[in-house]
Amino acid sequence: MKEKPLQILLVEDNAGDVRLLREMFSKERRDAFQLTHLLRMSEAETHLAKGGVDIVLLDLGLPDGHGLDTVRRAHAAAPEVPVIVLTGLDDEALAAEAMNAGAQDYLIKGQIENRALPRALRHAVERHRMQTETDLIRTHQMQFKDEFLSHVSHELRSPLTAVRQFVTILLDGLAGELNPEQRQYLEIVLRNVKQLHSMINDLFEVSGVQAGKLKIELQCTSVSDAIAYTVNTLTGAAAAKGIILPADIERTLPSVCADPARVRQILIILVDNAIKFTPPKGVVRIQTRIFEEEPAFLLVEVSDSGCGIDPDMTERIFERLFQASDPAAADHNGLGLGLYICKDLVTRQGGKIWAKSTPGQGAVFSVTFPIFSLPKLLAPAFSEERQTERPITVVVTELGSQTGWLSNEVRADQCRGIRDLLRGCLYSDLDVLLPKMDSAGPVELFFIVAITDGIGGEAICNRIRKQLDSSEHLRQAGLTHSTFYRPLEAIQRNSTESKEDFLEKVAIDIQELMSKEISARQVRNG
Amino acid sequence: MDSRKILIVDDNADIRLGMHLRLKANQYETFFAADAFSGVAEARKHRPDLIILDLGLPAGDGFTVMERLKQIPFLAVIPIIVVSARDGLGNQKRAHEAGARAFLQKPVNDAELLAVIRQALGEPAGTKKPTLYDQGSV
Repeated sequence: MKEKPLQILLVEDNAGDVRLLREMFSKERRDAFQLTHLLRMSEAETHLAKGGVDIVLLDLGLPDGHGLDTVRRAHAAAPEVPVIVLTGLDDEALAAEAMNAGAQDYLIKGQIENRALPRALRHAVERHRMQTETDLIRTHQMQFKDEFLSHVSHELRSPLTAVRQFVTILLDGLAGELNPEQRQYLEIVLRNVKQLHSMINDLFEVSGVQAGKLKIELQCTSVSDAIAYTVNTLTGAAAAKGIILPADIERTLPSVCADPARVRQILIILVDNAIKFTPPKGVVRIQTRIFEEEPAFLLVEVSDSGCGIDPDMTERIFERLFQASDPAAADHNGLGLGLYICKDLVTRQGGKIWAKSTPGQGAVFSVTFPIFSLPKLLAPAFSEERQTERPITVVVTELGSQTGWLSNEVRADQCRGIRDLLRGCLYSDLDVLLPKMDSAGPVELFFIVAITDGIGGEAICNRIRKQLDSSEHLRQAGLTHSTFYRPLEAIQRNSTESKEDFLEKVAIDIQELMSKEISARQVRNG
Repeated sequence: MDSRKILIVDDNADIRLGMHLRLKANQYETFFAADAFSGVAEARKHRPDLIILDLGLPAGDGFTVMERLKQIPFLAVIPIIVVSARDGLGNQKRAHEAGARAFLQKPVNDAELLAVIRQALGEPAGTKKPTLYDQGSV
């Protein structure tokens, strides 16, 4: 079979090297290769974008591109085309890095044997094709698996709904009074239904983890509240095993920058695990403090007096589908997804998770969350290219409901949409849409810190009102909105003051303003 | 005052009965449909105050129902609560765009369902019968 000529793009600015390479190709069959030569990276990018190139021979020292950067640019212009880099004798380390950056192979100038070049090219193309194929198959398999998991968890939910409905209908006495024994048995059914429900959620969640779809909405979050919620939720389960779950919650700790629903989810998984693996009459403890090693983080520790973990396993337990092989643990049902989900959630909120244990003496699971810092959030608004004495304005957008009540469901869903809308209304990339700070009763408040640069707060407000007025989404959900602004009293940064001190000062003023707005609404609604 | 009317559109008979019992205990009158076609027909016939709508249905799906109802002026105004086993990510957004008031995922928590119904009907708090055993999702 007659093969198509291999389309080679040579990007090289050294005339001598070009001549040498051309000579090597001239010895091959004319119809086997077709060489296009370009001098600059910018030209090469344009050429690659057009398509039709089978392989790139790339010099790492071009007039308009250098080193690894050229490899990345070639790769970006045509991800499917293999790249072979050309380097000098003393650049072998760089060549190795180029391979890491996506190059298929490298050739050292002056050491290329005549007949070896065409072979190297053919091999590179073939290798690249096989690799692409394998990647594709793997992607398909992963996709299939995720779809399968999602489908299964969906199919399981419907029958579970009916079971749950009828058990609660019986327990609530809607079909007549129950005697204590009947009640007790139904409570057992309900407990197991809830467990099944949580397993299905894990299944579903993990298919979301794989696809990176899990939503995380960072905000100013109280870890103490999350701990209180966790203790409250799991006290029953602990009490059933005679396990003490101390509820002394440190209230003076700083808030963290995290998603409260996710923090609760993480703590529930950890504490639930701790209860499962702790023998009756044991202790499970939750403690928090500022992390000594990284003071910008809050540390939460969940410790138990259970069977502990083999020290070799303390990292593996966070892997997907990991199950303890210990026979003592075998009856602790679960899918082996909890810690995997935890790790994903913690990492994506900027924290870390790890476990330490002495077998037989229990385990300690540690999680860190970044401490919420208003000055840090505000920093981009006061970047060096901006004059700090310009007027600062805080824009407040209030979301309410015609019925005077926002359910949590509505809140989470609508707020995400509003947040996206507001982000689009900012005048400058440097203006800051602050995360949710606190719940303000029946309304939801959004704060934007903007440097108005002569536009005036009213202009920003008008723009936001117009956007929200035209939102079909809000109208249909029966939601109301209003937007107004509060200029911040002129804060001057004096010449001796560091940027950090200045930001601290601004943050205090903004915090005060926000607290005032929030508490005004909380008071209004008792 | 007459009790408010709620139409339940779900192809699972057990779930229809379960919802009926829970809603009846809270003084709502219920009607049923088991597919998309009768969903619209029953809505026409009874003119409910609210519709609880499943997404996976025979003869179309929940979105078809919402689409049809929207074209009939006196039905277009009825608040719809979608209760589905389908995953919340894409469907929740789609349901809201189609005009649904809320999206609840199965297995649904009755306390939450009642709260959402009350909100959609504009009823004051405290009018529902408490559900002692169905608080919290896990």
